[in-house]
Amino acid sequence: MEYVDNSQKRNLIWIALLVIVATVIPFAISSFWLRIVTGVLMWIGLAQSWNILAGYMGYVSFGHGAFFGLGAYVTAIAMSLGVHFIISALIAGVFTAAFAAIIGYPTLRLQGAYFAIATWAFAEAIRQIVLVLPFTGGAYGMRLPPMLNENFFYYMMLLTIIGTVAIAYYLMHKAKFGLKVKAIREEEIAANVLGLDVTRIKISVFALSAFFPGILGGIYAYWITYIHPDSVLAPVIADQMVVMTMLGGLGTIAGPIIGAVVLFMGNRLLWVFWGDTSFYLVLVGLAVALVILFLPSGLVSLVPRLGKKDKPKVDDQPNSSVTEHTK
Amino acid sequence: MDLFFQTLVNGLLIGGIYIAVAAGFTLCFGVLHVIDFAVGEWVMLGAFAVFWLNFFTGVDPLIFLPLIMVLFMIVGYYFQPLLQRVITNQQSNALLMALAFTFGMSILFRGSALTLFGFNQRSLTTFLSGKNFEILGISIPALRFGATVFAVLVTLLFMFLLYKTKLGLAVRAAAERQDVAGLMGIDSSNIARIVYAIYLGLTAMSGTFLGSIFSVHPDMGLRYTLFAFFVVVAGGLGSIQGAILAGIMLGLINSFVAVYVGGQYIFLILFTVLYLILLVAPKGILGKGW
Repeated sequence: MEYVDNSQKRNLIWIALLVIVATVIPFAISSFWLRIVTGVLMWIGLAQSWNILAGYMGYVSFGHGAFFGLGAYVTAIAMSLGVHFIISALIAGVFTAAFAAIIGYPTLRLQGAYFAIATWAFAEAIRQIVLVLPFTGGAYGMRLPPMLNENFFYYMMLLTIIGTVAIAYYLMHKAKFGLKVKAIREEEIAANVLGLDVTRIKISVFALSAFFPGILGGIYAYWITYIHPDSVLAPVIADQMVVMTMLGGLGTIAGPIIGAVVLFMGNRLLWVFWGDTSFYLVLVGLAVALVILFLPSGLVSLVPRLGKKDKPKVDDQPNSSVTEHTK
Repeated sequence: MDLFFQTLVNGLLIGGIYIAVAAGFTLCFGVLHVIDFAVGEWVMLGAFAVFWLNFFTGVDPLIFLPLIMVLFMIVGYYFQPLLQRVITNQQSNALLMALAFTFGMSILFRGSALTLFGFNQRSLTTFLSGKNFEILGISIPALRFGATVFAVLVTLLFMFLLYKTKLGLAVRAAAERQDVAGLMGIDSSNIARIVYAIYLGLTAMSGTFLGSIFSVHPDMGLRYTLFAFFVVVAGGLGSIQGAILAGIMLGLINSFVAVYVGGQYIFLILFTVLYLILLVAPKGILGKGW
């Protein structure tokens, strides 16, 4: 390895400590809390995947929940055919990534609002397809073989999330690839002129950001054992990915993690005290609006050390760039 | 064959209302450069506002139309600066932020409506509800007919405003280049507020009609957000003529799919059409958008 300075050493120690704590958690807390922590992990992964696409490449997708749902369904179908769970989940990840690449090829030609609308419509369409296809059980959904081992799911999630965060960190902050992706975010035409194969980069990022939700969807399906279109393909899944990332801080590694922990814990606390309430939506909506109005860089900007990594440069011309981007 | 013409008429009659939503929506995009994700929720709020007015006073919902329009125009006029603040937020991804902001607003509105009014569906009864008249063997629902005619008239009025008056000229100039319009002495921030006010007025009016033709419930917005997007993207973002054509097209697709294919496929088909349009003619069916 090259030279490692003190702060990096300290970071490594922190990460090692976190991993150790995460490994022993299932033995220290009740199964009730374990389920909640597993949920937090899942949402960290989902928010981080969305962040790879939106935070680093600047392509906002409002239909990313579709990949989660697809992953769940692919896993359920594969397992009903007798494939082992872990292989099914991997198949689900590869399937969603391939699917994203195919869908992305035309869709990624669109920019900004167009792209957001297209992905959103795409997710709605997927939900409708699943409702009418013969082998997905329609509105009744699918059942998976039950497995009552909370620890197993916890570790599966943990492993996937470590993978997601590590890959996101490596690709976007360490590898050259991250620079290319950020170049697309800052000025796509310039990136293209400089000789980057923009289409290929965009498709690979889109596929990558669909890969993890696919796997997580698979784990979730096996964990919950019963899936139907309104649970794994509900619009609220994509909503939460967006909200968590925005809340925590777009385009940072720590942002989606913080956002996911805060929002999911808030959600569960609300659920513990008031049951399943639509009031949650009010809080989520308010949180997004307030964060964007008063804290546009998210919660991470409150902790300078975490947020400084990848803050987009402040534009010195306030309005002109705004009008240009949309054309 | 009768069924065919009946479907055609039904489609045309609902298309008029979509035109009203789309015209406001596309103008709002043209001037503010922001896609308002909360458009369906504004439709829903418009419908609920009428519902409660009707509930407490017992007066026919359609009488409240002007009141609703003025009310929502005022709301729009005072809400817009908040949105403006996000747009001009000095960050490179301001547009993305604005998109996410309206997205947050839509969640907020839907959540509030669900919390306050519950999940049940309500219906609005107007003096036109349930009445039909017949032309050439095709029965025409009076409410849909009245709604479409009214919506089209209001849209025409607003087109007149846009193309024949000085205010309209200022709006179009601001849509073209906001900074240059500002240099020419146009108060573009005020223009943006007026445009947003008009947009909300039209949307709330459509909400009244859609609520009385179909039903009023907190989740109704999602559907109309998708419809508004369809119309605006298919017509070409920012092109009002395109939006009008696409509004009629949407009405037709809707009614034909419901009759000949099945209502559950509607989003699937809309999505496919939208996708094809985006790929083949990304500037909209008239090629006039951006």
